[in-house]
Amino acid sequence: MDRRGTLKLGLAGLAGGSFFDLLALRKAAAKEADSSSAAYSNCILIWLDGGPSHLETFDMKPEAPVEIRGEFKPIKTNVPGIEICEHLPKLAKIADKYTLIRSVCHNQGNHGAGNHYMMTGAPPRIPVGCGAFVSFHPSLGSVAAFERQAPHGLPSYFSMPQISRSGGPNFLGGKYAPFVVANDPNSDKFQVRDVELPRELSDDHFQSRRDLRGLVDRLPRYTDPRVSDPVLAYDQNFQQGIDLVMTPEAQRAFDIHEEPDKIREEYGRNSFGQRALLARRLVEAGVPFVTLYHGGWDDHSDIFGALQKRLPPWDQTVAALISDLEQRGMLETTMVIALGEFGRTPKLSTLAGKSKAGRDHWANAMSILFAGGGRHGGQVIGATDRLGHAAIERILTPENYVSTIYRKLGIDPGKIYYTPAGRPTHLVSDPTCIPELM
Amino acid sequence: MTRKSLRLSPYVLLRGCISLCVTLGVCLVCQAAKPGSSDLVAAPGSRVTPRKFELDIQPILTARGCNAGACHGKARGQNGFALSLLGFDADTDYKAMVLESRGRRLSFINPSASLLLEKATGQIPHGGGVRFTKADQDYQLIVDWIKSGAARTSDADPKLVSIDVLPSEHSLAPEETESLKVTATYSDGSARDVTRMCAFQSNEPAIVAVGADGIVKAGKLAGEATIMARYMGKIATWSAAIPLPEAIASDRYAELPRSNFIDDLVISKLSSLNIFPSKPCSESQFLRRLYIDAIGRIPTAEEVREYLNDSEPDRRSRWVLKVLDRPEYADYWANKWADLLRPNPYRVGIKATYSLDAWLRDAFRKNLPYDQFVRQLVTAQGSTWRNGAVTIFRDRRQPEEITTMISQLFLGVRLECAKCHQHPFEVYGQADFYGMAAHFARVGYKGTGLSPPISGGEEIIFVKTKGEVRHPLTSQPLQPTTLFGEPKEVAADHDPRGALADWMISADNPFFAQVAANRLWAEVMGLGIVDPVDDLRATNPASNQALLTALADYFRSIQYDNKKFLFTIFTSQTYSLSSQPNDSNALDSRNYSRHYRKRLRAEVLADAITDITGKSEDYEGMPKGMRAMQLWTLRTNSELLDTFGRPDENQDPPCERESSATMTQTLHLMNAAHIQKRIASDDGYCSRLASSDRSTEAIIEELYLTVFNRMPNLNEVEDLKSEFERPEVDRRRVVEDLVWALLNSPEFLYLD
Repeated sequence: MDRRGTLKLGLAGLAGGSFFDLLALRKAAAKEADSSSAAYSNCILIWLDGGPSHLETFDMKPEAPVEIRGEFKPIKTNVPGIEICEHLPKLAKIADKYTLIRSVCHNQGNHGAGNHYMMTGAPPRIPVGCGAFVSFHPSLGSVAAFERQAPHGLPSYFSMPQISRSGGPNFLGGKYAPFVVANDPNSDKFQVRDVELPRELSDDHFQSRRDLRGLVDRLPRYTDPRVSDPVLAYDQNFQQGIDLVMTPEAQRAFDIHEEPDKIREEYGRNSFGQRALLARRLVEAGVPFVTLYHGGWDDHSDIFGALQKRLPPWDQTVAALISDLEQRGMLETTMVIALGEFGRTPKLSTLAGKSKAGRDHWANAMSILFAGGGRHGGQVIGATDRLGHAAIERILTPENYVSTIYRKLGIDPGKIYYTPAGRPTHLVSDPTCIPELM
Repeated sequence: MTRKSLRLSPYVLLRGCISLCVTLGVCLVCQAAKPGSSDLVAAPGSRVTPRKFELDIQPILTARGCNAGACHGKARGQNGFALSLLGFDADTDYKAMVLESRGRRLSFINPSASLLLEKATGQIPHGGGVRFTKADQDYQLIVDWIKSGAARTSDADPKLVSIDVLPSEHSLAPEETESLKVTATYSDGSARDVTRMCAFQSNEPAIVAVGADGIVKAGKLAGEATIMARYMGKIATWSAAIPLPEAIASDRYAELPRSNFIDDLVISKLSSLNIFPSKPCSESQFLRRLYIDAIGRIPTAEEVREYLNDSEPDRRSRWVLKVLDRPEYADYWANKWADLLRPNPYRVGIKATYSLDAWLRDAFRKNLPYDQFVRQLVTAQGSTWRNGAVTIFRDRRQPEEITTMISQLFLGVRLECAKCHQHPFEVYGQADFYGMAAHFARVGYKGTGLSPPISGGEEIIFVKTKGEVRHPLTSQPLQPTTLFGEPKEVAADHDPRGALADWMISADNPFFAQVAANRLWAEVMGLGIVDPVDDLRATNPASNQALLTALADYFRSIQYDNKKFLFTIFTSQTYSLSSQPNDSNALDSRNYSRHYRKRLRAEVLADAITDITGKSEDYEGMPKGMRAMQLWTLRTNSELLDTFGRPDENQDPPCERESSATMTQTLHLMNAAHIQKRIASDDGYCSRLASSDRSTEAIIEELYLTVFNRMPNLNEVEDLKSEFERPEVDRRRVVEDLVWALLNSPEFLYLD
């Protein structure tokens, strides 16, 4: 059966059977991946760029004065004692599936620096500008790609639809940069760039191109290893690339059209929803790290109007993702984490020239949603004071948070890396994990 | 960089020691604690007891790794116990050991119960593990020192003056061993064997390895290596070559064609190693190299034909001149320099970025002599909207920031380490760093400063009449002082940067011309004579110092004329050697005995695809048809440029270009929609060629000339002709498929 044939079958005939196929694929993935890493979790990181307000999401302060508690009301979740925002009803129904961390805090109050700290576990080495896009240290995803390999030649680190700030490889090198899927999986014409043949090319046509290439590629190769001919590495990459393009299993990971409509609806028929679904498919195929970039959380003004619109579809997607992973038995080995670079100021304020109130940057408190990865949910770690100003219980650092993810990915956070210049660098300066999550 | 080598490979360990700003890298040297017995051999008549801190104890701290960068030597120490990195500051270290922490680290009543010793021997838990045992002589030495009152050296005591390695340098046979002996000489003329306490490092451990005991062992293969020995801030090097065992008759070297001094010096080096160079490359290979290395584009089919048919004398040198004269020259070299100088536009603003770009292109358009290029940059004044050269000052606003950049780029001296502590592999200390930085103390700023992410305002960079830089430890203001120079008073109405620039470009400057020549050489030859190109020091030796010196002298003698310099390289025989190795030079990776293959740079590749398909990749926000080489900011979306690696200006330090091949690159060439679209375009090259009335043979020839820049041979034409004769496919499809096949072959992607 050729690649297209399988795909067609997958689309038409295997509405029920596709699940088994994917399970088989996962087994193959596990087998092919480094045997030691097979037991470790993969990660879907939902990056809320701009810094979501903890007071409007997971750390509400209904008792606080009105200029702090804002317009939204908390609702009960299915775990007694845990309340979250009324605009997150679907997540409220599955609070037993995730942990809320309310006490990670740091001191980097601008976007560039906050992104860097939370994305890499290292504070920026020099003060950086607010809008800056900086990198001094490899990101979580790049380290995951460096340490863990996806099967079938699949890239190990995806970022959709763009690379997050500080989400790059730094000294690990371009090989470990995220594979960015910019196009919209919600579109009927969606295709992942480069890893699939151009639509207009049939398998036969591609095969005849490869045959032609065989005819014209006559550059001598210097196989003596002392020569270190770079073309040998190219040949290897080319073969791997062909494998990826021609392996139905790998290709199917990208084929979101294979998903039943019901599932697609559950995730939400919007770009973010379908990206989350694609992320699940990638993780299912063995990809260790996927970042879902979700921008626009920098609500300096009209925070209530904006969140009223933004939260419900977001709630739907994240709840669907967690539930779907659980139903597939994947939540044990898949982390789903949602956070931004910081929380927001407890006291509402109105910017000059604006009429509606918002909140500003606030790194002393923030909330992180942490699901999966082998630890059951239904718990809250840490707390902020009664006004949401600062973490006061179980105060945790970005280092603790990042170390926890590394540990679950099967990577020792205390590891020392050597830059190409030979400088030793601690992967995380304080490799202490968050015990409640381990 | 492979996945593996980023871990703890010996190569990286080695680079750790011999390469740039390794503030912490030094710990690699000393983390390997040394076994072996202590036998400090005192010269007859020299001082023996009592033990003194600087002479006897500090070396132990270094040899045992206590003051390494990852341990107590890091800036804040370890668990409250902070030593200076590798012991460069005896006062601090003495205080830390003897006085600090209420003196609890040493016990004078019962020396062996000292916390220091109990920790180091692992009697009580120690994060750094057991550094030595009670049986070690180091242990006894420290006990003796405490017993005798933990004395420091006084002015009367001898000081360490230098270290020397014996025996003298010589070549080694494969697998030969040699014991190095390091002798420290003191100010009283005494000497002692400090071999055991030295840190040794080989820059090529596969060629010549060195153990902690100073025993050197040559590998099985021929090559060269330099061993570095370090003892208490003093460094000595020992170079060894292992020539190939089979000698090559000298007349074979004498018969080799030579165009200029480059060939003489390369051949002389090769003959000392019994390496014979490869044969010359073909004429079409030469032309392809010339176009790509000089102006960053591939030649057209017509140009290749014209060159191959040119039968007038001096064909190569005429073509080199002709190509260097092309307008693409300025774009290509400006693009390279932009990699080194271009700031993050989010930080300095898009206008300042643009004006720097314009300044660079203008400089290369005018073939501005390199010394003037540097002078104009270093002393730049004026508006960020008008004089692009000032952008580097807008970006690097502190004297410290601009100092590290300028010393590395233009002097090949990596001063970064010396900002915070004595450079671990160099003579530079903090006074040198801040003395250099003092030249920039009077850079003034007027107008709108940085306000990322827009930073849109205009700023004027000017010279103030006042301003100073202070030594971070002593807080003394420092006069501008060049490296190895004397402090200078600069009048209030003069620019201290002018004095710096004069010193940099003067004929006496030991670094300037070498770094410049090495950089240009590396751009063309694929590898610097010193590598990395901007890291010149005794512990990172040149592969051919005679060649580097000659190139530097030559560059200076032609008043730093870039084009003339490049002409000399391009017309050398060395440049046009084949990449095909022979029996003797397969192992050579540093002496230019063959051409080293390299992948096309991202922009070269992007423009080549445009030239081949006849359809441009249109960049967002840029005029239609703009070439990749003309992009003035990296903030332009391009999947191709991202995939094939362009520097990430957000990174600190800005990342060097990736030259390695990745799978995503092959996938991009194979499947990218934009490439497929351009190949299959109705008004592109393929469709035009297919609908022309050319014969099949002519089409095949045209395609080879266009993509591989060479004529197809008869077999190739024969093999491909049948593809055109298959009844089920039309001519246009064969042409398109063939272009795809050629683009996806390494003969296109690599410069052979």
